[in-house]
This record gives sequence, C-alpha cells and structure tokens, in this order.
Amino acid sequence: MLAYVIRRTLYGVVTVLGVLLLLFVLFFFVTAPEDIARRALGEKAPPDAIHQWIQNHGYDRPWQEMLVEHYRRMLTFDFGRSDADDAPIAKRLREGAGPSLALTVPLFVLGIPVALVLSLLVAFFRETYIDRVGVVLCVLAMSVSMLLYIIGGQYLIGKLLRWFPISGFDPDPAVVARFVALPVLVGLMAGIGSDVRFYRTVFVEEAGRDHVKTARAKGCGEGRVMFRHVLRNALIPVVTTVVLEIPFLFTGSLLLESFFGIPGLGSLTVDAINGNDFATLRTMVFIGALLFTVGQIATDVAYTLVDPRVRLE
Amino acid sequence: MRIRRLGLALGVLLASCTNNPYPDEDASRKIEYLAFSEAPKTLDPQVSYTTTDQVVIGPIYDTLLEYHYTDRPYRLIPGLAREMPEPETRDGHVVYRLRLRDDLLYQDDACFAPRATRQVVAADVAFSLMRIADPLVNSPIASFLSRIDGLMAFGERLAAERARDAAFAAKPVHEQYAQLSGIPGVRVISPTELEIWLTAPHPQLLYWFAMPFTAPVPWEAVEHWDGRDDRDAFAEHPVGTGAFRLARYDKRTRIVLERNENWYGIRHPEWRAPGAVDPTRGRPLPFLDGFELRLDREDIPAFTKFLQGYYDASGIIEESFDRIVRDQRLSSDMEARGMQLERAVIPSIYYLGFNMDDPVVGMPAGTRGRALRQAMSLAIDSREFMRIFQNGRGLPAESPIPPGIFGYDPEYQNPFRHVDLERAAALMKEAGYPGGVDPKTGRPLHLTFDTQDTSSRGLLRFQYFANSWRRLGIEVEIVATTYNQFQDKVRRGAYQLFMWGWVADYPDPENFLFLLWSGAARSKGGPNTANFADPRYDELFLAMRDLPDDERRLEIIRQMRALLQDECPWIELFHLESYMLIQGWMQNVRPTGLSIPTVKYVDIDTAMRTRLRAEWNQPVRWPLAVLAVVVVLLVIPAVRTYRRERR
Repeated sequence: MLAYVIRRTLYGVVTVLGVLLLLFVLFFFVTAPEDIARRALGEKAPPDAIHQWIQNHGYDRPWQEMLVEHYRRMLTFDFGRSDADDAPIAKRLREGAGPSLALTVPLFVLGIPVALVLSLLVAFFRETYIDRVGVVLCVLAMSVSMLLYIIGGQYLIGKLLRWFPISGFDPDPAVVARFVALPVLVGLMAGIGSDVRFYRTVFVEEAGRDHVKTARAKGCGEGRVMFRHVLRNALIPVVTTVVLEIPFLFTGSLLLESFFGIPGLGSLTVDAINGNDFATLRTMVFIGALLFTVGQIATDVAYTLVDPRVRLE
Repeated sequence: MRIRRLGLALGVLLASCTNNPYPDEDASRKIEYLAFSEAPKTLDPQVSYTTTDQVVIGPIYDTLLEYHYTDRPYRLIPGLAREMPEPETRDGHVVYRLRLRDDLLYQDDACFAPRATRQVVAADVAFSLMRIADPLVNSPIASFLSRIDGLMAFGERLAAERARDAAFAAKPVHEQYAQLSGIPGVRVISPTELEIWLTAPHPQLLYWFAMPFTAPVPWEAVEHWDGRDDRDAFAEHPVGTGAFRLARYDKRTRIVLERNENWYGIRHPEWRAPGAVDPTRGRPLPFLDGFELRLDREDIPAFTKFLQGYYDASGIIEESFDRIVRDQRLSSDMEARGMQLERAVIPSIYYLGFNMDDPVVGMPAGTRGRALRQAMSLAIDSREFMRIFQNGRGLPAESPIPPGIFGYDPEYQNPFRHVDLERAAALMKEAGYPGGVDPKTGRPLHLTFDTQDTSSRGLLRFQYFANSWRRLGIEVEIVATTYNQFQDKVRRGAYQLFMWGWVADYPDPENFLFLLWSGAARSKGGPNTANFADPRYDELFLAMRDLPDDERRLEIIRQMRALLQDECPWIELFHLESYMLIQGWMQNVRPTGLSIPTVKYVDIDTAMRTRLRAEWNQPVRWPLAVLAVVVVLLVIPAVRTYRRERR
C-alpha cells in the first residue's frame, strides 16, 4: 500500500508540474505585460508608470528566468502580489478561506446525510410510486440550472418570504449564520437531485444482491437490512465522490459566492478573471490542480479503508 | 418527546429568522448604508479619479476649499483654508496665498508613532502637489496644474535623477523631494501659509483646491504604509483630516467609515467654520456616527435590499424604472412608503464624435465633409435614443455646455440637432453622396464606428445609430474591439466615428470647451478625441479660458458655440440625469450633480428607520406550515406501504 501511495504521489507531482508549465505558457506568452499593467494603472497611466509596474512585477525578464521564478514561487507557496491591486495573494487566500468554508462545510455536512437518507428512503420503496415520483423529482431537480436556483431562492426566500438576507456576508459570529443560510439552502436544493439519483442507483443495485436476500431470509428487519447490509456495502462509490469533494471545500463555490456576495476563494477567482488579475488566477488554478491530485490519492486510500477486498498494489 | 424538542428547536430557529443584514445593536446608531458594485481602484487622493473612489475618500480627505452644500450655481467656500485665496500679480506671476487654519489635526494613525497624530502644516499641501508631479505616483491631473511654476519640470527632474542615481531612487520619497528642493512655484512661507506661483492666470485652480487631489497628505503615511511586510499600501490606507476616517477596508465585503474625533469641526465647534456648519439648520456637523458601503455586485439584490429598507439611498434599476417612476414622478406606491425622488442633471455631455483627421468625415474633406457631418447629425434623435436605452433619463444636448454651467442657454436650439431627413438628404447631395451613394464606388458610403464596448447591450445602442444613418443611405459598420486595440486605433488615427462622454471635474465652461481645443488633441494625449483643430476656435478658447463669468465671456462662448454648430465635429446627444431614491428617514439629502462629498451634511431619523424596517420585513411563515403538511401527506402513505410490506 505504501509503495502504491508513493507511486501515486509521484504521478501527482508530475501532473502538477505539467499544469504549472501549461499555466506559464498560457499566462506569460499569450498576454502582453503592457496590457496587464494598463489594466491595473488605468488608461491615462504614463509610459514611465507602466514601465515601472512591469519592472516591479518582474514581467520584463527573459522567459527562462520567469519560468524558473514561476516554479519556485508556486512550489514554495510564495504566490507574490496581485496584478490588480498589489495585495499579497497569500493574505487574500487566508482571508478568503474562512468565508468559503463557512459556506461549503455546512453544505457538505448537511448535504451528504440528507442525500443519503432520501436515497435510502427512495431505494427502500423501490418500484413503488414513491420511488417513481422520487426519481422524476430528482431528474427535474438535476435539469434546472444553478442560476435559476440562485435567482429563484433569492426571490422566494429573500424577497417574498423575507427569511434571510438576499445576499451579502458578515464574518461576525453573531450574524454569519443568517448570511450563509440562504446560499446553503440553495446549494442543497441544486445538488440534491443528482446525489439522490446516484446513491439510489447504488443502493437499489446493492439491495438486489444475494447477501441482502440472505439477511432478509434470516428474518432481519427492513431497517436493519437497509442500514447494516445495504448502506455499508454500498459505501464505496459514495466514499469516492465524497472524498473527492473534501479538498474543494477550501476553494469554495464560484457561482454561489459570486451571486451571494460571499468573499471566499470562489468569488476571488471570478474577480481575478474579471479583473485580468493573472497572478491570482495562476495561483487559484495551481491550488485547484493540487487539491484535485490530493483528492484523487485520498480517494484511493479511502477505498481500502471502506472495502477490505480492495488492495492497493 | 423528541419530536416536541425538535419542534421547539425549529420554532426558535424560525423566530430568529431575519433578513436584516446588520448586527442588531447598529439599529440605534446613525449609520448611513449604501451599496457599491465595484471596489475602489485606489484611495490615494492624488490619484483617485473614479466615482467610487471619491465616495470613499471624499469624507476622509478634507480639501482646502469646498463647494457650498446648497447654493446653486455652485459656489466655493473655505475648507481647511482660513479664507478664499485671491490672486495677486507679482514678478510676472499670478500668486495665490493659502492660509491654513492653525489647529488642524490628522486622524489618529500608526504612521505617527509614538504620537497618535500631528498638526496639518502647509508643507503637507506642498508634498501633495509634489506627489501630483511625481511620474511614479501616476496622478491623472499633473498636466492640468502645469501652470504652477516648475511643476512639470519637477517631475522631469525627479525621473531623470532616479534614472541617474540608484541611491537617490532608493531614498524615501519625501527625502527625494527635499533633495530636489521641491517645486519652485510652491513656496511654504510658514507652518500655516504657502504661496502658489503661476506662470499664467488659471482661475480654475481654485476648483482643483476643492478636490481631494490637492488635499494635504502626511509624508509619514506615504512612507509607513508601503505595502511591504503585511503593511497596507498607502493607496489602501488613507490618513486624512476629514470628518470621517476609514475604520475597515474590506473591498470584497464592506467599507466602513466612522467619525474622526480629531476633525476641526468636532474639536472646535466655536469656530463655526463654513465647512463645519449645516447651512440650512445652522447646527454643527457631522450628524452621522458612521457611513458604511456594502458590496452588492448585482443590481437586483441591491435594489431589493433598498426596497426592504436596508440601504438608505439607491439609483433605480432599469427593470423596475417604469414601476417606480411614472411621468417623471414617484409612483403612489413608493410615495406611500415615504420615499423621496431626487433628480439632478449631472454636468456632463455624451456625444458622437467624428475623427476630424479622417479624409472622408474630417477636415481634409473640406466643405463636403462638413455637409456630411451636418447631414449625419440631422438623422440622430437623442430623445428617442434616451427613451429606448435609458428610460428617458437625460436632457437632449444642443451644445457641449450642460445646465448648471456658465454659458448654458436653455433657449438655444442647434439647427442640426433635431431630426430633418429632407434637409439631411439635401446636405448629402451637397456632400457629393446623393442618396448616400459614394460616386467613386457606386455603392452606399461605407463608414466605420469604432468602440471598445463589446457587450451586447452596447452593440444594440450603436446599432441604433447605424440604423438612423441607414435612412440617409450610409452603411455604418460597427467595429467593437478590445480596449487596447481601440487605443491603438486612436493613437494611429485609424477611426471615423465614436461615442464618448465627459463628466465635469469642476463647474466651469472651460472644462467642457477644452474638449475641442487643439491643445488637448488625442494625438497629444488629451481628451479631444475628435482631433478638432480650428485656429478660430483655439483663439476664442484661449480668450475665454481665464475670464471671469461676465458678459464678455458669455459672448465668446456664443461665438464658439456657433462655430461648433457649423463645423459639427460632434453630434451632441444628451446631458445625463440622475434619479436617486432616498428613504423617508433620510434628512438633509441634496443631489449635487458634481462628485462632492456630502456625508457630513446628511442626517437620519433612526427611530423611523427601525420602525419601518420592522414593518416592511415581517417574515412570512405560513409556507412552513404548508411544507409540514405536505411532508406529513407524503409520509402517511409511505408508512402504510411499509406496514403492508412487513405483513
């Protein structure tokens, strides 16, 4: 197992290094530094100021030197300063992680049990009208765009019912819950359809297996059958999706954060795209690649923990 | 039992449900709340030029002079200066002597450590002017102050010395400035007095003293807040002398200003200084405890929060305009909520411009080009444009000078600024394009309209103009490019038609008429994008520029207007009009048109605000009961199925 993890990690390192190379080509060759400088300093900026900006940000050096610097910075997590307003990117990341987690952790912690319970319920009533209605609702829920959930949620819950603020954020512990309540609710609604449908399929398949029939034949109650025999054995695909999601809790949600005005890392990425802030964007893409790789390795390891039959060689 | 407990918990949760985005204890405090959609670019007073920047730094940096809050036409009053400076002539120079009040303090700030603050001195104003000249500061107004003796040369000397001597460049800026002995035309006479020496008259200089650009800045702040080692940059950490100070600067959520207890108006109410007393009620300023801007990128949620009472003022979004304003008045629904509608024409001009260097539409085409421009002007209907694209907000423009500015004449009608297709067709013939056909090609005359706006909304607007010109037989191609490509075209002069706008820096006709002065040509980096260069106009402009607002000046402005009317370098479209909705609890709010800081004059009836907010935001709870019933209805058959299966 250790050998496997080491080998996977090495593959991961190669992948991340490759992503960094791609990033370099995209961001250093495709865009002229004058454009970034002008964007940051405004249209009336004199040539002196533009030149000084390019020099300060190190965009005037030979590409070989910039490539080495790019790798050094990213791999030592010294991300430098934003192209848009010169703020240290590491500081921005620290500031953004809290609001992102305030949104994604409740979404994750509530989303999984809710989806599991609902899908167990639907699977339990498989081939009855409850199952059929449930599947239809799931497909409907999956087909609706996230934007519609957001706008609909803001309109219905924020504007008409006036339960929670329509958007905004305040990290003050006294009020933070009222700001994340609506986006969490919207996120749950948006994600639940696909999750329930997926888990249901897994559970229904598992429920038809021989060991479940045996359990029933031995006189096990239906509840015990579902929770002990079906759920536990159906956990492998569930764990795969869940573990892969964990690293991305940190990077937040692009759409939810932008539309609800939550200053997390998701909206930081959107801001960087809108503001031609390539330094921040490079960092976010790199972190995304890194977390994805970590998530993949963690999923593999999680396999062995939930299923003793799986051996990583 | 468990179910009852769950019900209780749900009940508590529901009871605590509120859409109030503010902490409960803020309800009794006089804090004005507004939304912002885009973060300020910079809070450096010598650099900031955008409206959002000004909203934040205006209350923080007091200026030497200020605008009277209620008097119109606009009138300047002393701010940090003791009195209005008068120009004197000395040694062939025009000299302004500025006397500061002698007990002005900066806000408390760590840059003054070990002290908390220090007195504002005349040298700080000189330091600000040197920063404007410094090319690395990148102030947009250096060229406007070029008549201050030696200001531009100071910037050049600074750049040259920095390039020559790395040790010099590494010194703190105030030491660099001192080593070069500052700007010759800015002389500090005493701790509270300085003289500004001008090489030529520049009456508009006083308006620049009423803007944060020339506000005093402590050198300690520029040196300390350098953006290194986790310290803020000075552009994000203002240290000013105003009635408010920045308490929290979080560009991604909120910007909080609180009262600055060091402000002269609070420390010295007995001075009854003009900038520290409410002109209508005679009471000492400021009335508010604070001022808070919250980020709301999307229009609709921001406007919804305004309607819920959580923002104190708001513009009107296009989607809701017709519901809120009827016949240019507030709808009865809004009036019943106690709202006020404040309308103000912004001193601005939006226009379509011709590139006067172009061989087809410009000066090189001589009288043919002029007839073409006049014909094209006769095809554009500003009213219709405003009706379609901006809910009718705006005043059709007849000349570059907007209402509220000396020289504006409400009676004047530009004969080429109303639709007359017959006359336009005759002019097209005169221009050598009968029916819009270019005799050289035998096909419709083809022109290009260049823009940097690639949005679909923008393209719709430009298509409106193209359609109008098609009625004359002219084919106009809209070329939307990126900002840089557009700038490049402008640099090379490779454009024919464009749309542009200008909002007044200060209320003087010079600030509009210079947009067509050859000295401000785009090719010289100025805002005269039409590249209009007419010696007659230039002569009149220079004669008008430095005159006081009298009959002579008015006569010259009339002559300039007549010349523009005939030459038609622009098709004047409209002067923008702002519609501002103000909550009923806001007191003493006045629209200003210009970007003037007004926070210190505004007052709030907090009891009324709390009452109305509560009234407007009662949560609707019955859908929860419906939801519970639906769940029960779903569960009953499920339970029955389960029981049946067990049997």
